[in-house]
Amino acid sequence: MLLRRILAWIATVGIGIGLGLISLWAVLAFGGANLSDHYGAWSLNRAAGSQAAGPYTRAIIARTGLLALSAQEAIYFNLDRDENGRPLDEGCIYEVSGQPLEARWWSLTLYADDNYLARNSDHAYSVDASRLGPGAWRARISAVQGDAPFWISSRAAGRNFSLTLRVYNPLDDFQPSEAVLPSLHTVSCGGGQS
Amino acid sequence: MSSLGKYLWTALVLAVLTHFAVLLAFPNFVMNTAMARVSGGHFNVWRQGARVTEASRAIVRPSPDLAYSTCVYDLSGGPIQVHVAPWRAYWSLSLYQDNSDNFFVIDDREAHDGADVIIIKQGMAAPDHATAQIVESPTTRGIALVRRLAPTLEDYTGAAQAGRADVCAATARSAH
Repeated sequence: MLLRRILAWIATVGIGIGLGLISLWAVLAFGGANLSDHYGAWSLNRAAGSQAAGPYTRAIIARTGLLALSAQEAIYFNLDRDENGRPLDEGCIYEVSGQPLEARWWSLTLYADDNYLARNSDHAYSVDASRLGPGAWRARISAVQGDAPFWISSRAAGRNFSLTLRVYNPLDDFQPSEAVLPSLHTVSCGGGQS
Repeated sequence: MSSLGKYLWTALVLAVLTHFAVLLAFPNFVMNTAMARVSGGHFNVWRQGARVTEASRAIVRPSPDLAYSTCVYDLSGGPIQVHVAPWRAYWSLSLYQDNSDNFFVIDDREAHDGADVIIIKQGMAAPDHATAQIVESPTTRGIALVRRLAPTLEDYTGAAQAGRADVCAATARSAH
């Protein structure tokens, strides 16, 4: 009888701690969207890096964007879905295009699902304002460069990779919107047309 | 209360306590891990990061277009003097407390000729005759991070060269 009660309490403690950890993991893994502003497929958490960040925002940023600058200095947009809401996939070819942003400098970088640069040796991790120059721009996201002059390699990025748009020193005129931010278009997946 | 109810309530209370305790401790845990990784056990000294590649795994989501220098500071021995040399393109100095909050940033728009900052623990007196900007850190330890825009290898080499003039040191030591 005593042994049963001891085992029941051990199980209770284990279940309680387990539920607490699982619920927190679920919030950190999937709750980021609820704490973000959305501009089309892009998401933005303005509290990133800020002392005004709430505990959930702070924990999510610690996991996925440690040492982010506060929004006064830089704004970070993330995109992890294509125009049809599907996770970004190494097996697809994407085209991303846009206009120069109202900021001193900006860049677009691909990260694998583990939040680090994809493990390939292509040295084509990003495109940025200094290389794209003034005027409208277009870049390809794919496992091989082909004939694209501007290319971000998704080789070894697997499924569920994401793009981070860094906007440094945004000017007063910078007002994020779906029309202002770069747009992503799926060219093909698995060899077929999208 | 029935035995079953007692167990259920206990599990529920433990779940809530665990959830919030880990939530609040998690950023500090991640920052402490990051500070151990980037400092290599050395405090109050700049460490120039290698050019960011797929092998860069110390901090999540590094930018391959920036050259980073980090100084893990420790104010337990007193204030820290920080000097950041200027760079021909965007650069900034940002300070992070031990829960990952970015509590200070200065960039080349405000400090065109470089930045001079003295970090003191919040609530402590500033050093006498200090000419540098005084910044109060909410925590004893944290990270000072310099970003220099360097999208090409040539840029990175130049930024790394500029970074050799940066200073992160205890004020008493740097006076000599």
